[in-house]
Amino acid sequence: MIDGGGHSASHRCPREAAAEVTARRHFLSSTTGGFVGALGLASLLNRNSGAARQPAPLHRPLAVRMPHFAPRAKRVICLFMLGGPSQFELLDHKPRLNALHGTPVPADLVRGDQFAFIKGTPNLAGSSFRFARHGQSGAELSELLPHLATVADDLAIVRSMHTEEFNHDPAVMFFNAGSAFTGRPALGSWLTYGLGSESEELPGFVVLASGEPEGPPVGFHHWTSGFLPTAHQGVRFRGHGDPVLFLSNPPGVTHRTRRQTIAALRDLNTIQQENIGDPEIGARIAAFELAFRMQTSVPELTDLGRESATTLRQYGAAVGDSSFANNCLLARRLVERGVRFVQLYHRHWDHHGFNDKDQNVLHALPQRCREVDQPAAALIKDLKQRGLLDETLVIWGGEFGRTPMVQQAPTPTRLGRDHHPGAFSIWLAGGGIQPGTLGRTDELGYQIAEDGVHIHDLHATLLHLLGLDHTALVHRHQGRDFRLTDVAGHVVEKLLG
Amino acid sequence: MRRWFILLLGIPLSCAAPAAKTRAAAPSGSASRTHWAYQAARRPQLPEIDQPTGVANPIDSFVLARLRRGQRTFNPPAPPAVRLRRVTLDLIGLPPSLDEVDSFLADQRPDAWARVVDRLLASPAYGEHWGRYWLDLARYADTNGYNIDVRRPIWPYRDWVINALNTDLTYDQFTVEQIAGDLLPAATRAQRIATGFHRNTMINQEGGVDPEADRVKAIVDRVNTTATVWLGTTLACSHCHDHIYDPFTQREFFAFYAFFNQTADVAGGVPNSSLEPLLRVPSPEQQVEWDRLRSALANLAEGQTAAREKLRQAETALLESVPSTMVLKERSQRRITRVHLRGDIGNPGEVVTPAVPAALHPFPAAVGKSGPPNRLDLARWLVAGDNPLTGRVTVNRYWQRFFGTGLVATSDDFGKRGHSPSHPALLDWLAREFVDAGWRVKATHRLIATSRTYQQATYRPHQKKNQTSVRSSQQDPPLAGPWLDRGPRFRLAPETIRDLALAASGLLNQQIGGPSVYPLQPAGFWLEFGTRGFDMEEWPTSAAAERSRRGVYTFWRRTTVYPAFAIFDAPSREHCTVRRSRSNTPLQALSTLNDPAFLRCAAALGLRALEANHSSQSDRIVFAFRLCLSRRPQPLELARLVTFYEQQLDHYRNHHSDADKLITAADLAPVAQIDRSEWAAWTILASLLLNLDETITKG
Repeated sequence: MIDGGGHSASHRCPREAAAEVTARRHFLSSTTGGFVGALGLASLLNRNSGAARQPAPLHRPLAVRMPHFAPRAKRVICLFMLGGPSQFELLDHKPRLNALHGTPVPADLVRGDQFAFIKGTPNLAGSSFRFARHGQSGAELSELLPHLATVADDLAIVRSMHTEEFNHDPAVMFFNAGSAFTGRPALGSWLTYGLGSESEELPGFVVLASGEPEGPPVGFHHWTSGFLPTAHQGVRFRGHGDPVLFLSNPPGVTHRTRRQTIAALRDLNTIQQENIGDPEIGARIAAFELAFRMQTSVPELTDLGRESATTLRQYGAAVGDSSFANNCLLARRLVERGVRFVQLYHRHWDHHGFNDKDQNVLHALPQRCREVDQPAAALIKDLKQRGLLDETLVIWGGEFGRTPMVQQAPTPTRLGRDHHPGAFSIWLAGGGIQPGTLGRTDELGYQIAEDGVHIHDLHATLLHLLGLDHTALVHRHQGRDFRLTDVAGHVVEKLLG
Repeated sequence: MRRWFILLLGIPLSCAAPAAKTRAAAPSGSASRTHWAYQAARRPQLPEIDQPTGVANPIDSFVLARLRRGQRTFNPPAPPAVRLRRVTLDLIGLPPSLDEVDSFLADQRPDAWARVVDRLLASPAYGEHWGRYWLDLARYADTNGYNIDVRRPIWPYRDWVINALNTDLTYDQFTVEQIAGDLLPAATRAQRIATGFHRNTMINQEGGVDPEADRVKAIVDRVNTTATVWLGTTLACSHCHDHIYDPFTQREFFAFYAFFNQTADVAGGVPNSSLEPLLRVPSPEQQVEWDRLRSALANLAEGQTAAREKLRQAETALLESVPSTMVLKERSQRRITRVHLRGDIGNPGEVVTPAVPAALHPFPAAVGKSGPPNRLDLARWLVAGDNPLTGRVTVNRYWQRFFGTGLVATSDDFGKRGHSPSHPALLDWLAREFVDAGWRVKATHRLIATSRTYQQATYRPHQKKNQTSVRSSQQDPPLAGPWLDRGPRFRLAPETIRDLALAASGLLNQQIGGPSVYPLQPAGFWLEFGTRGFDMEEWPTSAAAERSRRGVYTFWRRTTVYPAFAIFDAPSREHCTVRRSRSNTPLQALSTLNDPAFLRCAAALGLRALEANHSSQSDRIVFAFRLCLSRRPQPLELARLVTFYEQQLDHYRNHHSDADKLITAADLAPVAQIDRSEWAAWTILASLLLNLDETITKG
């Protein structure tokens, strides 16, 4: 236990060597003993009821756990456009709305409805951008999404989403946690709670953010584990400085010094464990050793310089940026390493029309699309090329949509739309979904006409694709069994491939 | 699109099951009333025990009686230095000083332990530590929450809590002042500050917020928090429909809500966003000056216009510098309260008047004779002697703070779905003792801390040589589990981890109270989450002395909690938290190893060891070790530390620039005539000590 020859730089403490062997073993087990191996194919064919599953071991809350039934997807990348992108300019083509541009919205249609800002019966506004059909499927996409058009046949466009909240923060919480009340776990937390994490080196739920610090902000409460153990909380990877808080050694502390510290901590904590017998000490030793490995693995992970120039170009990423493009590429690198849920926030999609610039559908929305269209399409192609798309579900969307009515009196250079929870559009790709276009709104795009998909339905479907029964993934808190979908939610069969 | 209104998010899974109908038909049926927690706590007889060896007080009699039934015994007491560290961390949230350790070790008087407990209970640090627990329940934070999440003035409430605990305000009075201090006859300023408890609800300042909907959310939170904190009850479940498991109807929820629905605060929405009502809280000096100006104004003769104007200006200028705090105030015109059908404010049901749930103890007959009962009546009802819940719920929470788990493990749920108490007679005895002796908080803490049960070692002797401790823990119940045959052992809260590092390093600034402070946090952290404008872009790092205040004074922003706290499971304080998680993650290791705030402590602790009046290197190591752990290292531990120190010294002697970089990064005042290589090596050693499992654990 005692490193008697510590004076010599070349002499290695046996504990240090042991730690590295352990680290290698962890690595091997995480690569060879991965998901399916741990699962056993036979068990995939049998449904497990939620109640019959073993709880996660107390000291390894992120241990890989069996799903309820054979999964189609193993992990999720959620591209979240914070602020509420306008479906009328992107995914929901409405020729009739275009024809009625500039006429008042029928009073009967909006009577009794409440909006964030709109009062009375403002004029309708058609799309300012052209739509065209793409791919074999003939998916309709606007001219603002030229790159996405090249992967049209991989997309499942849902035009009939609806939610329950019309202010940003509650609506973001609803999209993430199925509730506008604080204290409920986010989707990513439910996934690591239900399935554990496949990564030994990284958290199971990682959050990335990009975009100007304007409009609705991102906050801890959007990736909270709520009443689930905090081990399931999302971990924010930062765009500058340390990618994970406090990852770097302080100045003047070398890798070797740190290795010696970790080894000494192990020795001293082991003495204490032998005296006391508290298994929590063993968990602490493991946590310090994982932290030490992360100091190497995370910089390696976030170093986009390891990607080819071609890949960087496809995404539009550049080493050193903290752009959405960089984050998309980082997301691929994260899921390659087994991270269960990666959520990318891109900010500043809240275009009310208060000004000609950053609040303007005509000006700011095309800008946002230039930032996200190419990287999102590149992500799909890249995952596909690497054989990861089949088992990785990609979701693109925002907390709600926008109204077909204008909010402010429009000018030739300005258009603004209010928040609209009643109907909006998202798209999905990969992970066992059925490409195509699902759902229809009325001719003004105001209400759902066919195949409505509530957020709870989306959550039920996501969990289903990951092999989890949304009614069986429960956690008891304050005497009640809670679930992501509360008391609602139906798996959308039409979305299943 | 009325759907948005529906706040229906609380319906249990089995909501649609027949059970729901049964419950609705018999909301306060006799079966529900027989649930143990709704029956009055009676003072149980002390168990008769043959040869009650080691019983220090009645707590031990109950515990030992159960141990004997299981053919078990008490564990021996923990070693004195370990015990002293445990009780000091538990009562004041700081480690004992070396003088305190030495004098306790030397104290042979039979009441040496009780003396320590009394000393700690009298320390002003006691209120800071126990206040922190209360602030989790009170969901105290320095910002409004939601996406704008700007500052709010309410720190005087935090100081009120600390002071109330330090002056041992009885728990009944502590309750009444926070729930209804404004309604007390001739309410003092302090009693009105106390009502900040329920102003800690969030305010949504988004553009499109419906102010009434936001106000209703705040009132609902006040109902739920009151029920959780005092009644240990999930009344929240009856917000949208009758409670499925416990005897509360939705109508009773809104009758309870009606008590809180009469306040003047208006909550969110841009046109209505308001922190009002506010109360001015002048410092004693400001008060003297204010009184002087007012009396000068009153004494002016008619016509002295110029003088009057001058005094008025002086008063205005003074008042601008006087801090304010958010308080409750009753409206002059009563609101009519209706049930919100399915929890939907757009779907009003029958009118209800303020009333308490029928399944619980009734109001005294006099209440309601002269007008509807109000918040003050409710507050007094919460701490009525015949309330079966408040006493049990409160002592159980105290137990949880000391032992890590309550006698009722679900300290936030005493309902039918909650756990049964592991020691029902002990719980009732403690509750009766607490209530009957006048709700004395410090006396109750003293009772627990002086028990034999609390002083036990955390391990069992036979386990000492058992290397496969995981297996042994499967054979026995978990540490501090239901038998209570071992002492508690669990990781400290982040605020205490921070305070301990500051205390051990000698940096701790013990100033009590005042506006929240901004210790070091990574640059740009706020703007990574937040939005430009609102004066919330930059974390305004405090001056050096203020950076070393106790954690309880750290500015608490709900959407971006101070990262070193959030990493160690601090709650957002968006809502009432009774039990924090205790996770164990690599991010925590990175924080205590690399956070500049911890590096600063390590460098100061290293310097303290280096400059200590000791002749040998190993004596200095023992000194630093004891500052963190109170006990002395075992020979094996000391040898490992010496080796480690020599490794580090060797490195920094050969790499002066690394030493310079490390010492510069630690950001302490320069020290003349010091060998920076030595200081750097001591800094790394101190960092090692601050990162030991035992350092960040109470054991």
